[in-house]
Amino acid sequence: MNELVVVSGKGGTGKTTLVAAFAALAEKTVLADCDVDAADLHLLLEPRIRRREPFKSGHTAFIRQADCTQCGVCDTHCRVDAIRIDRDPDGNPTFSVDSISCEGCGVCVHFCPEGAIDFPESTCGEWFVSETRQGPMVHARLGIAEENSGKLVTLVRNEAKRIVHDRHFELLIADGPPGIGCPVIASITGASLVLLVTEPTLSGLHDLERGFELADQLGVPTAVCVNQHDINPSMTETIDRECEQRSIPVVGHIRHSRDVVHAMVAKQSVVEYTESPVAEEIRKVWHQVNAMLQAGAETRA
Amino acid sequence: MKVAVTSTGKTLDSPVDPRFGRAKNFIVFDTETGAHEVLDNRSGVDAAHGAGPQAAQEISRSGAKCVITGRCGPKAERALQAAGIEVIPGATGTVAEMLEKFRRGELSSSAESSDPNGS
Repeated sequence: MNELVVVSGKGGTGKTTLVAAFAALAEKTVLADCDVDAADLHLLLEPRIRRREPFKSGHTAFIRQADCTQCGVCDTHCRVDAIRIDRDPDGNPTFSVDSISCEGCGVCVHFCPEGAIDFPESTCGEWFVSETRQGPMVHARLGIAEENSGKLVTLVRNEAKRIVHDRHFELLIADGPPGIGCPVIASITGASLVLLVTEPTLSGLHDLERGFELADQLGVPTAVCVNQHDINPSMTETIDRECEQRSIPVVGHIRHSRDVVHAMVAKQSVVEYTESPVAEEIRKVWHQVNAMLQAGAETRA
Repeated sequence: MKVAVTSTGKTLDSPVDPRFGRAKNFIVFDTETGAHEVLDNRSGVDAAHGAGPQAAQEISRSGAKCVITGRCGPKAERALQAAGIEVIPGATGTVAEMLEKFRRGELSSSAESSDPNGS
């Protein structure tokens, strides 16, 4: 089985646009939206949800009023100001935990002299297995103020892999999170190929370099695609040179085009929406990426 | 000397787990006595964040001086280094196969790991 993960050091470079197009071009593919902080693949693929499960992760502190002596030790130790103190007209305090501010570190639970703080596991969102016109998709939605995590990404990836296996498919395409943190590490560890999507800006280049370092640390083969290459040709050249020095293949340059936005508005991938040059460039990127995946599979076999 | 191998299963013939922090189990093998123990890493698999450093802590506690795994992330690697534990990346096959290669001195540590885009 091949697993392609599309990531970017910097957010907003076109990961989902490419993943949706690849999904339309590839056959027998399972999709995984690992960018759960800003999940958006479902907007383009209009999934029909087949399975829905709660996602539990981390803990939230909860003060049992009956046992609280209002000593204030929790407030002294809380580093994120999550202890709320409400006073009645006589000035008597009531201590409670603001569940949105609480990061679940447990310091208040540890120090409370009365043992009056519960620490239940929190339900942070839901994850889904859906059918889309491009095949099965595993995705998730987080509650307000919840954040993506390596745990959630690992769950989404494992479910998607299971479906690839059950249906005898050969490819998993994951829309990865931006950055280089925990969710990205959980997305790319052990993948067949990481496609780093960048744009020709200084922050694009800087964050691309950080992506290289992480992929190198984790030993995952890497390729680069420069999106909207024509908005800054000299920076595109700089990026190409940087990739050459590191022996990382550049699998394509994609032009800036309003067709990309129009396709999004029409809830379609670019290659479904148009045959214009930008769609042709995306097809070429897919063919290159697919060739790398096939070559990698042969080497492994 | 104790050697830890990341494993998908709980026996020596289980396939290695290429992940470090979120590996299913750690099998800690004592090269002197030939005995081994299995550490269930469910808490690492379930960790929202920090699975790597937490796993490094587990390994350190087990007394292992060397870890055989696929690859580990930057924070886990620093934590293992700080604990004086050697990392041998690029593990494939079964736990027993990796231990046999280790015994024959056929495995190299992270300092000489190969370039993933190279040959």
